[in-house]
Amino acid sequence: MAIPVNGSVAGSSGLSFSAVQEAIKAGLYADLANIIDTLELEVSAAGASKPQDWPYAIQILAHVFNHDLNSARFVWKRTPDAVKQSNPELVAAWKIVQCMWMHDHAGVYAALRAYSWASDVQQVVAAVGEDYSHGMLKLLSTAYSTVSVVDAAAFLGLSENDVVTFTSQQHGWVLDPATKMLTVMPMVAAATKKTDSSQLQNLTEYVFHLEH
Amino acid sequence: MDSLDALVAQVQGFSGTDDLLHLFSLLKQSDELLHTHAPRLQYALSSLDPAKHSLGYLYLLEVQSSGTLSQEQSENFLALASTFLNVCIAEQICLAPEKFNMVCRRVKEQALQLQEPLRAILPLQAAIRKLQPSSEFLTAMHADFLQMCLLAKCYKASLSVLEDDIFEIDQKRTGLVPRDFLLYCYYGGMIHIGLKQFGKALEFFQHAITAPATVLNAITIAAYKKFVLVSLIQLGQFHDCFVQVPLFPKYTPPVVQRNLKSCVQDYMDLATSYVTRNIADVKGYITTHEDAFKSDNNLGLARQVIASLYKRNIQRLTQTYLTLSLQDIADNVQLDGPKEAELHILQMIQDGEIFARINQKDGMVSFQEDPEQYNTSAMTMRLNLEIHNIVRLAKKLTSVDEQVSCDQVYLSKIGRDRPRYETEDFDIVPQKMYTNL
Repeated sequence: MAIPVNGSVAGSSGLSFSAVQEAIKAGLYADLANIIDTLELEVSAAGASKPQDWPYAIQILAHVFNHDLNSARFVWKRTPDAVKQSNPELVAAWKIVQCMWMHDHAGVYAALRAYSWASDVQQVVAAVGEDYSHGMLKLLSTAYSTVSVVDAAAFLGLSENDVVTFTSQQHGWVLDPATKMLTVMPMVAAATKKTDSSQLQNLTEYVFHLEH
Repeated sequence: MDSLDALVAQVQGFSGTDDLLHLFSLLKQSDELLHTHAPRLQYALSSLDPAKHSLGYLYLLEVQSSGTLSQEQSENFLALASTFLNVCIAEQICLAPEKFNMVCRRVKEQALQLQEPLRAILPLQAAIRKLQPSSEFLTAMHADFLQMCLLAKCYKASLSVLEDDIFEIDQKRTGLVPRDFLLYCYYGGMIHIGLKQFGKALEFFQHAITAPATVLNAITIAAYKKFVLVSLIQLGQFHDCFVQVPLFPKYTPPVVQRNLKSCVQDYMDLATSYVTRNIADVKGYITTHEDAFKSDNNLGLARQVIASLYKRNIQRLTQTYLTLSLQDIADNVQLDGPKEAELHILQMIQDGEIFARINQKDGMVSFQEDPEQYNTSAMTMRLNLEIHNIVRLAKKLTSVDEQVSCDQVYLSKIGRDRPRYETEDFDIVPQKMYTNL
């Protein structure tokens, strides 16, 4: 039986990130976080240290996509300082998390655009940005009855003219030019209300349980 | 043939299921032999297969890792142990739970010594699954596993183990000691705090406080300090203050009830100050006692208490007012201005903690009812899940009830107390059940 004596790996290793690449290509961004985290634990359990081309930025962004800022913070906390200094892409990804944590919406969009990401990272960044602006639109339509154009532009990462066009055409918001306020129309969420026959089985079990 | 070689040959020969118990008794007697041949154990280990000769491998590994190890020996041991824990046969190692626990503890210690707690996470998780007869059993490795996740800051990795409901504590099968249970509750609570699941954290700390005990211990005190802070964050109150409700549940051991409060006076004072809902007071209290909180590593949690007080004050406003101006909210809650009030309210709406609409034109906020109608299929699924859990719990409770009713000690106590109650026509417990004791 081979006994690995010193498991550290230098440079880019034979460790294949093919599962990561495939998930990005297929657009399955929600699964990325799990894949990379498990890989991290396995690499560590085998006694190896992380290879040079470890996808730190993608790991952080994958957690952001899942709206799990806590896990993204922990990834940053457990990265060694040497890596933090030598990997500008990681620092740029962390900036996004910081802006999200402080609810600096304009800052998030600026951070998303500020760095020229590697091609596979770019796909994840685009997905994160789209998801974020969609979330912000939903928040605006539930939380506000009127909102200023300036604030709306900051929330959605658009210029003031663009935000007026976008909201009035796509969502029926009304602009009051005098006060530069947009009246928000609530978004209609399509919620499914049908129940199907599998519920019948469940109900039978509950009634049986309650009777005995 | 040399005695060590003989032992290795026996391990290889007897590792089939029929002769396992015979092998087990042989190994139990050969402890001294293994210690004398310590330097040659490496070669002995290389001629065994951990996936087939798990029991023998376990004994050799345990002896090889005893004492202080050099860095290279440490790395070596960790590599062997990781593979072993992943591939060992559960039936074989279940014969020697104490040895297994010892090896796992060494894994944890060596990982800490090399300052790589991340390394021990997967092996310990595999070890837990191997030793547990089912996922409802608590093992001695649960606490170590959670500790490694905490130190490595890999909180999510612990979830699969943490979310198991523990129903069974079996000392014989798992070699558990009370300290393991207390540490499991304490670390489990800390992980839930890290994941911001304060309700679950509260449950875990409460288990730590109410565990049967005859002496107060440091783990319970530490757990109680966090319990106070988390209940302020989660429940906004702490039962003792100004309410005539007993502080501890009835099943808390008396020694804990009597002595715990005097050990945590700072935290009790913080709770008293929180109830006044005065942000300035609470902030001031925490600043003056910063060192005390810092030395307990609770300063971050104390700051979250302040944040929760803002939220609670705003929530109280929703119960009194239908609409309120942002300026009034800021004054009421002692915030810096309407802009900050707007940010707070927006955050609470996003987190689903209140339902409101902000009108920026007039600078007003109108508070609303929860729009949830509970008629969507997502809600139905959730209800189904909850009911399913309750049914499972009820079944469990019935089976525990039946087990206790058949228990010798219980029956004898009931039988002895019978004369104190009104006589009935029939025997609740036959005479012979309690006169023989």
